[in-house]
Amino acid sequence: MDPTEARLQKLRGRAMPRNHNARTISALATNPGCGRRALMDAAGADKQKLAAYTGYPAPFGQSQFAIVRGNAFEAQVKENGAAQLLSLLREQLRLDITEAHYSDLGDVGGNETSEVRHARTKRLLTTVDEKQGTMFDHPLLRLRVGGRHAYLEPDLIAFQLHGKCHVVEIKSFAVIDGQADPAKVAAAAIQSAVYVLALRDLLGEHKVHDETILVCPENFSSKPVATPVDVRRQLTVVKRQLSRIARIEDLLGCCPDDLTFDLEADENGIPRRPAREVEAAIRQVPANYAPECLSTCELCYLCRDEAHGTTAALGKPVREELGGIEYVRTVLDLARGAAPPPETEEVAAQLIRAAGIRAALL
Amino acid sequence: MAEVTEGAETVEALERRIGQLRVAVREAVLAGDKARAKTLRAELKRAEQAWEDVLAEAEDAGITQSAQSPHSRQSAGNAGRTATPEQTGPLLPLREQVHEALSLLQVPAAPKLIATVHEAFFATTFPTTRVTSLRRDEERSFRAAPFARPYYICAALAADFLSPSRGLLAVSTWPMERRVIGSLSPRVDFLQAAIRIAEAIERIPAPVPAARRLLWRFAASIPGAAADASHIQPEAVRQAAEAELSVHKDADTRTRREAAARARHQLADTEQLFGTRSFRPAADQEA
Ligand code: SF4
Repeated sequence: MDPTEARLQKLRGRAMPRNHNARTISALATNPGCGRRALMDAAGADKQKLAAYTGYPAPFGQSQFAIVRGNAFEAQVKENGAAQLLSLLREQLRLDITEAHYSDLGDVGGNETSEVRHARTKRLLTTVDEKQGTMFDHPLLRLRVGGRHAYLEPDLIAFQLHGKCHVVEIKSFAVIDGQADPAKVAAAAIQSAVYVLALRDLLGEHKVHDETILVCPENFSSKPVATPVDVRRQLTVVKRQLSRIARIEDLLGCCPDDLTFDLEADENGIPRRPAREVEAAIRQVPANYAPECLSTCELCYLCRDEAHGTTAALGKPVREELGGIEYVRTVLDLARGAAPPPETEEVAAQLIRAAGIRAALL
Repeated sequence: MAEVTEGAETVEALERRIGQLRVAVREAVLAGDKARAKTLRAELKRAEQAWEDVLAEAEDAGITQSAQSPHSRQSAGNAGRTATPEQTGPLLPLREQVHEALSLLQVPAAPKLIATVHEAFFATTFPTTRVTSLRRDEERSFRAAPFARPYYICAALAADFLSPSRGLLAVSTWPMERRVIGSLSPRVDFLQAAIRIAEAIERIPAPVPAARRLLWRFAASIPGAAADASHIQPEAVRQAAEAELSVHKDADTRTRREAAARARHQLADTEQLFGTRSFRPAADQEA
């Protein structure tokens, strides 16, 4: 095991690693400046559990019901040799009648490590021709995040004869009269873009279509409908953000050697370490809180608490308006006429003027 | 089937309750409240036991019910042979029900399809989870006394690794060519199944709605098979399926023949029926 891997394992402790998926990577990409999240995700730490144990339970998370419904819909479109999906793909991609292959890349003769599964995906997808494949189920892709490989499993990859691969994303939110919840479609598009990037890593830029296929139930029924989604814009965003994530090695270099988020439980299922100690460990890794964290990261309440009193906690635009001054308290002092350090003289003058206008209005 | 449904509802309520209790236990544990966690755990255990009991009861009730009801075994055995009340025996053991459904389909199938086919043509169904564990039981039985039974419910094998194909069941007496699955086989078997279902419906004088619904589910994914659910003709479905089948058949047969020869040559008896986990195709070794 390489030293970085050993340290990540120590960080995670005895818990089973949580794998990256397109959802976690797109969340990471919304706040690329956060070393805390990058490191915890690379280590596969269970952020949800850690947040709850330290007294900051996450305000969101997929409900059990939604997960069950999502799985049932996916199972339905994939049952009987993915018959329903094939009908949709025949229509969307104008597949020839001969293109009806279905390969389960999750079947690797019992050896199910990520490396073996990825190797099989790679072998089959790089040598594919019309005689071998149309639909590839359970593929395992790889993407470099912070200099480390993260493994990703898209719902399905469809290969078109004489054409390109398409990423297929199966979601259980409904499309009603051709319309779906825009926020959900946007999230799905970002996730699909992550898969397209990973697939391009494997096959090359030109082999993968930038139009992905979103499969959803139609009009309150369980009948599936396919919609093409152009993810060119999302690709640019995700690519740029991923390049801004710090290298995991560098992040590890800034942390004490014995740092760990271990939640090993005693015989009653209760973690042995006191919550305060775990929280202190989390706080040792620098974060970069922003209001967007509230909808994307399980640790948001902890980080918000920590960022209390900073201008960043009010959002990037506010912080920029205030000339990048770090604390709200400093801003208020300056507005009340405290002597500014030389680099903030200009902002201080504006703040005093603003305070004057506010006083005159009230 | 009244008792069974009633039982199933209680089971659902219990399942909800078990889910809620699990969440409560987790929360208590994370909050460090040992006493509460202990009480909740005990309650969870009781709920799980109750769940097992209700299920066992429903099973018994199902057996008595179908033994009494002439309808429940109507058209049993071969689809189309209308059963008379005297012919309706007690509910068959699960493996025999699975065998009935697979014998109608004549191709490897997933537990869900097996259960649906049995409901449509033999008027009883069963939870798919029980079908999944059936394969393990059959393997154990075969290992203990090989070939002691006239047939076993066994695995379909993935053509490349000869490993048990995920979730597909087959019958041990079928030729190996039918039990191996290449990349075109899922489509070929889907079309074959559609043909068998269409034929079975044509044999029954008055097919039940469940059977027609099943046929429509197949027809909807076959080009030219039917315009909509209300205008569905078994003969038209069969022809459309045959037409597409003729496109894939040769390529699929080649793959299956090759894989079957390999399986017969390389695998021991148990592995031929239940698959191996120890093979790598040559191409994957260097990967
Ligand atoms: S909530 Fe905290 S850990 Fe998560 S992304 Fe925001 S700052 Fe980083």
